[in-house]
Amino acid sequence: MIYMQGSFVDKIRSRNFVITAEITPPKGSNPFNAIEDAALIRNLVDAINITDNNRGVMRMSPISLGKVLQQQGYEPIIQMTCRDRNRLALQSDLLGAAALGLKNFCIMTGDHVSCGDHLGAKSVYDLDSVQLISMIRKMESGFDFSGNKLEDPPEFILGAVSNINPLKKGQMLKLRKKATFGLDFIQTQAVYDTEMFKNFCKLIGDLETPIIAGIIPLKSARMARFMNANIPGIHIDGEIIDRLDMSKDPIQEGLDISCEIIKDISDICQGIHLMPVGQHLNTQKLLKQAGF
Amino acid sequence: MIISEDKPIAEILESIENHSSIFIVGCNTCAAKLHVGGEQEILSMKSVLENSGKKVVGWALPTAACSIRSWDHLAEKDRSINKADALLVMACGSGASVISKLGTIDVFPSNNTVSLGGSYKGEVLPDQCKMCGNCTLFYFGGICPYSQCPKKLLNGPCGGCSDDGACETDNDKECVWELIYKKLDEKNSLYLLERIFEPKVNK
Repeated sequence: MIYMQGSFVDKIRSRNFVITAEITPPKGSNPFNAIEDAALIRNLVDAINITDNNRGVMRMSPISLGKVLQQQGYEPIIQMTCRDRNRLALQSDLLGAAALGLKNFCIMTGDHVSCGDHLGAKSVYDLDSVQLISMIRKMESGFDFSGNKLEDPPEFILGAVSNINPLKKGQMLKLRKKATFGLDFIQTQAVYDTEMFKNFCKLIGDLETPIIAGIIPLKSARMARFMNANIPGIHIDGEIIDRLDMSKDPIQEGLDISCEIIKDISDICQGIHLMPVGQHLNTQKLLKQAGF
Repeated sequence: MIISEDKPIAEILESIENHSSIFIVGCNTCAAKLHVGGEQEILSMKSVLENSGKKVVGWALPTAACSIRSWDHLAEKDRSINKADALLVMACGSGASVISKLGTIDVFPSNNTVSLGGSYKGEVLPDQCKMCGNCTLFYFGGICPYSQCPKKLLNGPCGGCSDDGACETDNDKECVWELIYKKLDEKNSLYLLERIFEPKVNK
């Protein structure tokens, strides 16, 4: 199966399976490494999802890198967090992005400044993710946050993110609030517990919103233990960690595990989102192995 | 209660390095309760300043440093204030600001003000209110997420809460949204969480 550029919007709207992949912008002004990383997955994914100062670490604007990658023939999804901008700056960036032809956005609260490399910076959170989604839908209807009329209202494809643990009832309730404003997709935290993911899909099935499952290939048992201990929303079973521990080729074992997860859940979700740690060196191999 | 805490003594000494005759003003309300501006702390500060070569001409402990009628009213407590070339205020920023209005004498704060909090069963509770000007405390079971969540989230938790309920910013702090959920569950009022809150109108 070949995934062509520009296919994300069409596929998400027509409820076909999508493959997206994450790229982190450079900490510098040269987009070359990001372009090189994207080239590793050209024609393999429907869209490239670009992070917004993720973990609170300052990097190139995802809107700028999104435009660069779009010019290279990729379809970008711009992540937008609530951490760094007030309601004026968010709207201004959204209008600017629309003018550049960047219309796919994935909305999230954003990791706190204290997680990152600019301790002491102001954490803005003027809006939360529910309010940001609401504001964007209002902009589409032709009005800014304050109710002033917009010339040529923008149109966006909007996604939200979620953890998959149904026991996190507050988070599940918040996802429902986001959905009241209309979501084009829901992108999840990395899935390792497929039963939990299936329960999550059942729990929110009534929203009838495409769910894109997060996939992070593990590289070692150490990485798995680190993620369990430090990354919220990650649940890696002891059995998976044992497999990585005992394997002579843990990187291949990690790809095998990801492949099994993808095969187990691909019938109940509408896409996968690949977030390898580091570059997309093994993404092609993983997708081929998973039958794409 | 306004929560304030001691500045490092080195910072205080640096701020008053060009002044030699110091008058200390405490506060017998919040700062005294928090042991950062009561009589004992004033006497301790006096001793530290004197050991550092400063002359402490006197001190006063008004009922509230943030509520002073006039210079004369403050001076009634200790006339030696008129010999001072600087005031050191052991109170919150509001107290130091009000004291600064009394005249042209240089006023230095000795405390850092950190939050609007309270005290319950002897425990100091920081960040009970962010003074947003639009109180919605009831809807959150009496636990304000705007003041206690580091992201000020009004519509539910972020994804950064750990499995055991710790806040993304501090492993030792329980996510305030976990506390809100538990409290509303206890009150049989979880329905309140379904309400969608608009962004605050910032002052």
